[in-house]
Amino acid sequence: MKIIIVGAGEVGYNIASRLASENKQVVVIDKDPNAIRRLSENLDIQVVTASGSNPRVLIDAGIKETDILLAVTDSDETNLVACLITDLISPTTKKFARIRNSDFNPYHNRLKKENPHIDAVINPEIEVVNTIKRLMDVPGAVDVGDFADGQVKYVAIQLDRHSPMAGMKLVDFSSKFGEDRPLIAAIIRNDDIIVPRGSNTVEPGDLIYFVSETKKLKKMLGLFGKEIVPVQRVFIIGGGRIGERLAKILEKDSIKTKIVDADIDRCHYLSEQMDKTVILHGDGSDQKLFLEENIGQSDVVVSVTDDDETNILVSLLAKNLGVHNTITRIGKSNYFPLLATIGIDKIVSPRLSAVSSILQEVRKGKVLSDISILGEKGEFIEAIALETSDITGNPLKKLSFPKGAILVCIIRNGQVMIPSGDSIVKPGDRIILFAVKHAVKKLEKLLTVKLDFF
Amino acid sequence: MRWQFIARIIGILLFFLGLSMVAPLLVSLHYGDLSRDSFIRSIVITMVAGLILIILSKKQDGDDYISQKEGMTTVALAWTGIGLFGALPFYLSPEFTSFTDAFFESVSGFTTTGSSVMIHIEGLTKSLLFWRSFIQWLGGMGIIVLSLAILPFLGVGGIQLYKAEVPSPVPDKLSPRLSDSAKILWGVYAVFTLLEIIFLLGGGMPLFEAACHAFTTMPTGGFSPKNASIAHYNSAYFDYVIILFMILAGINFSLHYQMLRGRTLAFWEDTECRFFLGLVLVLTLVMTWDIYGSVYTSLKDAFRFASFQVTSILTTTGFATADYEKFPGLSQVILFVCMFIGASAGSTGGGMKCARIISCYKYCYRELFKIVHPRSISHVKINNTVIPDDVLRSIMGFLALYIGLFIVSSLLLAGMGVDMMTAFGAVAACIGNIGPGFGSVGPTDNFAHLPVMGKWLLAWCMLLGRLEIYTVIILFVPEFWRK
Repeated sequence: MKIIIVGAGEVGYNIASRLASENKQVVVIDKDPNAIRRLSENLDIQVVTASGSNPRVLIDAGIKETDILLAVTDSDETNLVACLITDLISPTTKKFARIRNSDFNPYHNRLKKENPHIDAVINPEIEVVNTIKRLMDVPGAVDVGDFADGQVKYVAIQLDRHSPMAGMKLVDFSSKFGEDRPLIAAIIRNDDIIVPRGSNTVEPGDLIYFVSETKKLKKMLGLFGKEIVPVQRVFIIGGGRIGERLAKILEKDSIKTKIVDADIDRCHYLSEQMDKTVILHGDGSDQKLFLEENIGQSDVVVSVTDDDETNILVSLLAKNLGVHNTITRIGKSNYFPLLATIGIDKIVSPRLSAVSSILQEVRKGKVLSDISILGEKGEFIEAIALETSDITGNPLKKLSFPKGAILVCIIRNGQVMIPSGDSIVKPGDRIILFAVKHAVKKLEKLLTVKLDFF
Repeated sequence: MRWQFIARIIGILLFFLGLSMVAPLLVSLHYGDLSRDSFIRSIVITMVAGLILIILSKKQDGDDYISQKEGMTTVALAWTGIGLFGALPFYLSPEFTSFTDAFFESVSGFTTTGSSVMIHIEGLTKSLLFWRSFIQWLGGMGIIVLSLAILPFLGVGGIQLYKAEVPSPVPDKLSPRLSDSAKILWGVYAVFTLLEIIFLLGGGMPLFEAACHAFTTMPTGGFSPKNASIAHYNSAYFDYVIILFMILAGINFSLHYQMLRGRTLAFWEDTECRFFLGLVLVLTLVMTWDIYGSVYTSLKDAFRFASFQVTSILTTTGFATADYEKFPGLSQVILFVCMFIGASAGSTGGGMKCARIISCYKYCYRELFKIVHPRSISHVKINNTVIPDDVLRSIMGFLALYIGLFIVSSLLLAGMGVDMMTAFGAVAACIGNIGPGFGSVGPTDNFAHLPVMGKWLLAWCMLLGRLEIYTVIILFVPEFWRK
């Protein structure tokens, strides 16, 4: 499979690195020689230093034999033109474009159906705002994601000492909680991922990933000793696209929102756009402003400025003032390992969101979604079981499931089922699996069509 | 300041005014009344004066451009001139003894105020009664706007004249071309007037009286050919028809236009219109409660008279069906407050205008909000559009000037020996272009007994109110005249 990526920024880099590690042929085009050098030094890919919207360049890069074009530069215009040109030169190539300006939102569908026939428009800001909203709705959660169009959610929470579950063995779950026991996909202890077996225990301090039906989520969290309290007051630092979009959604839900931005012109713009949201002019590091505006009384503090350091500081400050629920936007992926140690747990990243949604689109087929957690240490995979794949037809205990992988749940005709050793996956079932990174490839084999089928 | 140019425009407008006097002349000929000669003489004098101005002022290059300063001067002087020459038919009739009274009546007409110095209105000839109503109709939508609609001569520069005559706090142009906008406004205005005539005829009012009342309802004027105003008929049907058209006249005419073009929710979507209609409803209910039992024994009557007085004063029309000075104190205060609030911006009504009241409220709220959140940034918005700070400043200035001029004029009037209630009432009624005031100028009284200087002062107040203060007051600022 050959893939051309236009744009060697953070998004382009991350996608290229993921795809290259999956043995795909990757060509990256970018005007900036420095960005290109960083890629060519680190990754096994081909690079072109030129403008990705130039037809000559695209032809030279081999667009005609390319399966997928990913236009992920920082410029919406460049991305659109690259797709348009590709549509003219090589109509069969799949095209994905990253478009950030929300003024394009009403036209996404037409961009798909009409020229330039973009197969998927990715707007990372929208993804991030959705993630923030999900994190807000589940206050104890560190990470939340949707499967099966929101019918099933995965949630990551930190187990505290007072939880009734602390110290229990997983085998005892069914006797204690019955049918509605939580489906635990992974336990993170001291930075290691444990894919649990029955004999594993859950300990206080563990980060637990579990899967639940959305309608049962409240009850599940109760089992963990967490309560869902409706969010009433939100404080947003940074009135960029993410802050604006989030505030507009919150305003619609009549949640009392305050936004802080350092740019006075931006504040004026926001004030023109918003009705009830309080717009404050001030620097993200301005403690006096936060005290003045009672940041400690907020239910959630969301720091989404463009500056990672400011966001981290604001979140720490808010925690100090007694806010439990803080959501921090981080752009640089090399910060991730450090953040947990200083107490910053809920992190969103537009770039990683973009990477993950683009990868989902690239892999689309029988794999419905593919969500990386913990900076790509593990993956949730949602797929449709194929008749000819190895996973169907036999009881689970007879399958040679790769080490480090687990079948989390089966959705058959809209019913969510907890698998046991005797369960059989039928063709057409939606299945949700979890696997650590090294087990992903083996798992893919289990899911895909047998060779002798052809 | 190009005086020749200004004189030419005023000359054209006067000529035009003379032409419009043909209408009452025809009425006079139809009824064969005694005012024929006075109208013929007025027409000749006005037209000749206009022609002299036109001939003496030569056309110059660059005449299609008018500066804002020239625009304001032109409009203020034109309205004064029209008031003077419009007074001629009154002055030349035996019923009027002094030019002061004639001028007061004329300005009260053109500014759609409706205050009268006539003690015995029904004693006037039909043609004079018609002229009283007709000048209100001309003044209602604006004489300059009318001339923009039918005379193409003003061209590009017309926008300055338009802004000086219709200084809406929230400007909206209905059509890219000014003359088209003017035509639309006058079209809507004429259609409503015609409708009201039909409705009144349907209730059995004679054609002459129906026309006179329609001509003074739509501009929210308030002259009536009857001594007792609308109370003369004592008919619930007429009351409610007139209430309906007063409310229509008090709504922004661009909303009427949008409504006619198919945006059926236009009234409801507009903040100011909602405020205005809500105010009419709430104040009516409060007043109904207040006068039920104490003045009227039946609830139906209480509602009918409360709604009429509230609508009449709030829209600054000034028709009367009851002597509100006999109402309890609460109702009187409500009406006094209504005199200041006025109708919607872009309507034919006067007063401070609802849009300014809303802006002022939101502005004050923003100031309070700023005390709680010192570093917040917020804007005053009406209909989801931001009101820019310079517009807000001009609105605040307007309100301050309005109150300031009200106080100064009341002081001056009281200094001429008028009692307190009358002084306050008369000035509030004239500056708001309402008509009846309080005290000895209430709904059953008239302005005849006021001192001569007082009448000139009130006439000046009417012009201030009609041209929304800035256009007139700017001529009294020394800086305006410095070279």
